Amino acid sequence: MTGFIILATFVGIIVVAFASVVQKRLADSVVFLMGVGLGSVVLFFLFKAPDVALTEAVIGAGVGTFIFLIALKHLGEQA
Amino acid sequence: MNIKRDIPTATLSGFALSAVLVLTLITILLQYLPLSQQRVGDALLALNEKEGVANVVTTVVVYFRGFDTLGEIAVLFIASLGVGVMLQPNTECRLKAESNFMLQTASTLLFPLIILFGIYVMVYGHLSPGGGFQGGVIIASGVLLLLISHKNFEVPHTVIVAFETFAGVSYVLIGLMGLLLLDTFLGNFIPHDIANMGMLLSGGVIPLIYIIVGIKVGSEMSGIVQNLMQRSDDV
Repeated sequence: MTGFIILATFVGIIVVAFASVVQKRLADSVVFLMGVGLGSVVLFFLFKAPDVALTEAVIGAGVGTFIFLIALKHLGEQA
Repeated sequence: MNIKRDIPTATLSGFALSAVLVLTLITILLQYLPLSQQRVGDALLALNEKEGVANVVTTVVVYFRGFDTLGEIAVLFIASLGVGVMLQPNTECRLKAESNFMLQTASTLLFPLIILFGIYVMVYGHLSPGGGFQGGVIIASGVLLLLISHKNFEVPHTVIVAFETFAGVSYVLIGLMGLLLLDTFLGNFIPHDIANMGMLLSGGVIPLIYIIVGIKVGSEMSGIVQNLMQRSDDV
């Protein structure tokens, strides 16, 4: 069962990463990138690295996404 | 979405090439996998038993690699300094609009819980996953929630500076105390008994350092987030 979850998460991360690359709007890309981060959180946790999972959840999926979005807002119409 | 039109052939072939390279690497690595390997973690686990800290990662980050952590804190400080210096002050705050009533109420309700969880992660860093870095960033994300929802909310600059200075100075002071008492920088000079392993008050100086790291990271990340929200680079 765990192996199936790991495999499904791997496939999901690759699909979400691909979706993030092909988006037209940069804001959509950032949201899909957060999806990559969330998938990595599940993987880190299943591979018995809860410390790294917590860090990735807080920084990669949380604050990192926010900083990207703020940067996009600063850029405004140029992006 | 038409994939053929949106993505040029060069990008697709680049994807294919990197997939082939990764597969080759994995095949090579799997062939040379030793059957009975001596893992790096084993030595660290054996060393960890002397310190009486339940979470081995914390012992490595704060104790065996304590000097590196001091360097990481310095890097974060320089990043925070750069954000503060490069973004010009902007009093009109054009990023901030009046937010929804529901967001305001929910964030007021959630803010104490987020702060409490951040402090929990910080204080229990030597017993459970997490620690100073994670707890500090959780606290900063609570501050960020209030910054988004409340138009006039602001952490006073003096408070951030006071926390940051206190944490930075006490980290170095604890290191120097270890140098004075045990002849090693960041030495574990507080009594730490292996019998107390798993208790909140155990591990001597290690949880103390992780709490200090948490205060430092929390105030610095709050400062960065606040600067990004309230300042504009094109005044």
